Amino acid sequence: MVEVTVDPLSRIEGHYRINTEVSEDGVITDAQSNGLVFRGFERSLLHHDPRDAALFTMRICGVCPVCHSITAANALDDLFGVADQVPKNALVMRNVHQAMNFIASHAAHIYVLWGPDLANPAYRDILTQYGDVGNAVWGELSGRFMPLVNLERGTRYPAGSSYVAALREFRRLHEGIALIAGKMPHPVLQHVGGVVYSPTVADIQKLISYVSQTARFVENFTLGVPPETWIENTYRASSPESAVNFVIERLQELLDNSLNNNDFSHASGWGDVPLFAAFGSELVGETLLGLPVSLKLDRSGGYKDPNTIGFLSYGVFFKPENGDGYDPTSPAEDKVIPSGYMNGNLQLEKFDHRKISENITHAFYIDEEADRPPWNGVTNPEDNPDEIDYTRGSESRYSWVKAPNYSGIPCEVGPLARLLVMGEPLVTGLAKTFQENGYSPANNYTRMLARMQEILVVIPELLKWLSQDLEAGGKVAVHTELSMARDSEGMGLWEAPRGALGHWVATDSDSMTTLYQAVVPSTWNLAPRNGQGIPGPAEQALIGTKISAAENALGVDYANPLGILHTARSYDPCLACAIHTIDKTGKNPDRIIRVV
Amino acid sequence: MNNEGLLEKFKNLDFIKMDRRTFIKAVGALGASLFLQTYKSDIAKAFNGLPETKVLWLHGVMDSGCSISMLDGENPDILEFLQLFNLNLLYHEVLMMQQGIFVDGQPANTSDLNSEVLLEEILENERGYVLIAEGAIANGPHGSGKYMVLGGKIYRDVFERAARNASVIVAIGQCATNSGVNAAESEIDDLMDHRGVAFTLEDSSKGIVDLLGIDTPVVNINGCPAHPDWVFLTIGAIALGKIRVPDDLPEVLDRWYRPKVFYPPDHTVHDNCPRRGFYDRGEFETTVGGPKCLWKLGCKGPYSHADCALRHWNGHVNFCPQAGSPCIGCVQPGFPDSTRPFYVEIEDAGIVNTNLDTIAGVAIAGGLIAAGAHALRRTVLRKPEEKEGTTEESALERTGGEK
Repeated sequence: MVEVTVDPLSRIEGHYRINTEVSEDGVITDAQSNGLVFRGFERSLLHHDPRDAALFTMRICGVCPVCHSITAANALDDLFGVADQVPKNALVMRNVHQAMNFIASHAAHIYVLWGPDLANPAYRDILTQYGDVGNAVWGELSGRFMPLVNLERGTRYPAGSSYVAALREFRRLHEGIALIAGKMPHPVLQHVGGVVYSPTVADIQKLISYVSQTARFVENFTLGVPPETWIENTYRASSPESAVNFVIERLQELLDNSLNNNDFSHASGWGDVPLFAAFGSELVGETLLGLPVSLKLDRSGGYKDPNTIGFLSYGVFFKPENGDGYDPTSPAEDKVIPSGYMNGNLQLEKFDHRKISENITHAFYIDEEADRPPWNGVTNPEDNPDEIDYTRGSESRYSWVKAPNYSGIPCEVGPLARLLVMGEPLVTGLAKTFQENGYSPANNYTRMLARMQEILVVIPELLKWLSQDLEAGGKVAVHTELSMARDSEGMGLWEAPRGALGHWVATDSDSMTTLYQAVVPSTWNLAPRNGQGIPGPAEQALIGTKISAAENALGVDYANPLGILHTARSYDPCLACAIHTIDKTGKNPDRIIRVV
Repeated sequence: MNNEGLLEKFKNLDFIKMDRRTFIKAVGALGASLFLQTYKSDIAKAFNGLPETKVLWLHGVMDSGCSISMLDGENPDILEFLQLFNLNLLYHEVLMMQQGIFVDGQPANTSDLNSEVLLEEILENERGYVLIAEGAIANGPHGSGKYMVLGGKIYRDVFERAARNASVIVAIGQCATNSGVNAAESEIDDLMDHRGVAFTLEDSSKGIVDLLGIDTPVVNINGCPAHPDWVFLTIGAIALGKIRVPDDLPEVLDRWYRPKVFYPPDHTVHDNCPRRGFYDRGEFETTVGGPKCLWKLGCKGPYSHADCALRHWNGHVNFCPQAGSPCIGCVQPGFPDSTRPFYVEIEDAGIVNTNLDTIAGVAIAGGLIAAGAHALRRTVLRKPEEKEGTTEESALERTGGEK
């Protein structure tokens, strides 16, 4: 047994460590997910004006400040009792704001954070064994995904073409966000009762222009076909089977054209998604398309036991056709991407926020109760330096991240969970195809394809909101007074690009905050073991995964643990969110608060 | 003076021979984009003799917002920035191929793939680099620094080694400059003990460099997040020798170590705000969503020293008050405690002991009518005895205002 540790895992948000035990045949047999920083955050909201929360809590995360500010605004709408009156135009503005952040954040994850692992030298060593095809594919992978800072024996290579192009789109979308929200990161649009800015006709036209330009990037780099064609045949396909068939046929067509001349370039139609879709998967690439080699990413990052994992979505994007106001409990029918819980066997249930609890058995917190619901939580951070030790194994306390559960089950959250819950045809079809062929329906391949596909789901909705639903100069807020928050409680449910995000808030008779807590996506995905010893989602996905590239194709190389890197990064970890945590307030025992 | 006028004035100057004062003026006046356009060929020429500057970028306790903000930079963007100023970015957790890899507790592989090996090589061999410090430095619990451990090492110790051998520490963003939201008041802020590089909030005795006895010069680029122009142009000026470290720093920086060109001591966000006309006419919004002055909604623009209203953000398209939100003073050393509550008029909030001198100072640039209006409201609304013990000096301290 060999201990392989990745510390720090770079190309994520924040500071994260993964410790694994690996067998001699190169299979991960145990894993611990360690959040490495104790930050403390919501506690500084206590005894303050609750309206500050929208601007304050976004500073939990510089990558997804938009979703924190919207979730906080949702919680404040509930706290002030105005959720049912928030003007439609404000809800559309929240959608627009969030959608641009979704696309930018996903692009950053796919191209800047996760993608560079495709340029890992292990893939050169594997692919170049397969003659001209392999050489050509390696040339594409390294030429597209090389990160800005890299080294190979003292030489630095230029950053990849797709990497650089994606950064440009990231910037463009953030500029669009700034146009209606002041700046990005830390935009200032969200407010209790609505938003602070009513867009002009010019703003709306400019936003459409930004999004249309990004759609051209998606056409030229990401898909290799017009987004409209892709969307029509996948997101709007008549069935999951036809969506999968469209993609397979498209890949077959590309291959027929390229296997003679070994041209896998963007110019010949091989967008980043087709390239990944064909060469990333053993089942799709080797079995269905007959390729000589693949990266076998569908064999890693899967779940072994469907009974210990679920998929959770709180729902996101208001339906403009519902008019003013919304229901804070986020029933499935209220959102464009609905709320819902799907178990490990892909059976869907209605979402009920009362089934959420959090466990601290394996986290550095002190509490007499190990399990608590988030609206009644306590978080006393360990303050003895000698107790803060990440190396004591799976039985110990080993993270600053708590373990949230839904009905006692750890849940994956994020694009894959959302699109499964939504029944999006392509992702649903792929998951079923893998399930029927003996693979885990959730794996590194489907997790990444779902993130790519979600960009395509969001773009047409965003263009519709901009061109049809958003009214220039329309009313964007209900008037509120601080006194409306007296002795009240509020809950905000929403989705960050990385997954389910909830904020809970309560106030006293002076309308000052007495409780604030956020349960964030990376807390779900990167959780340590729960009270029953069930590993968190990322831990479950690591256990059973092979340590080295393409199922140890070149033998076991503990020193280049791509199995860990791909799997851990596939969740788009955001540690600043996951460990922003805490609260202990011994001085005011009647105002005990906690925070995740 | 408009851009054309400025261009006319500056374009005949020889960039290479331009002294620092003129350089700073030119950058400040023209903005990054025009400046680079104007001097592109000169800058290219300069590079023939310009040595490479190495840059080590470390992330402490933060939310990566400043790294994101740097990726959002335009004219120059981050790639142009590195190229133009001949910078060699050695290490950046978000942008590098490498990660820490240990097999049975020992570092494995080489610096090609292992960031811990890479970092150790940098700390061992490199000297005289620019250290970009993003994020606060964890000192808790109880002085142990164990609230942030990375690669098996206490981050404070890594920071200390990196800082000692740097030629200059450029602290970017409020977490690094003043600990920002990490130091916001709460029952456990002492236990947390997250420190800024040279200050923790407004306390210079609580900067981590003071605690560790590090005398490397510090430049602070405040803001939550920092503006990419502020960072790129400051580091660019250092790389080009236009700001000589440490000789020029006393003149170039204000007392919070911020470059005066971006954080002007003598004027504020308020002075150039597009809503300023409404303020001068006494027209104020009392609910969000309208076009008028945001003073009554808690705007801290009159107390915030930054060029946001001129420079604008993200491709220079907007800034907070223009987008309908009160300025929350995120560049001020005491942020966020000194500017909360965000949505309450500053005089009612009692967070600043606003006095007539301050108000006049603020208002002179725009019009005395406003000063009169303030003075009147102040007399009517405030009961001085409620603010006993709050001196003018402490008010200025809290807002970071300059006399």
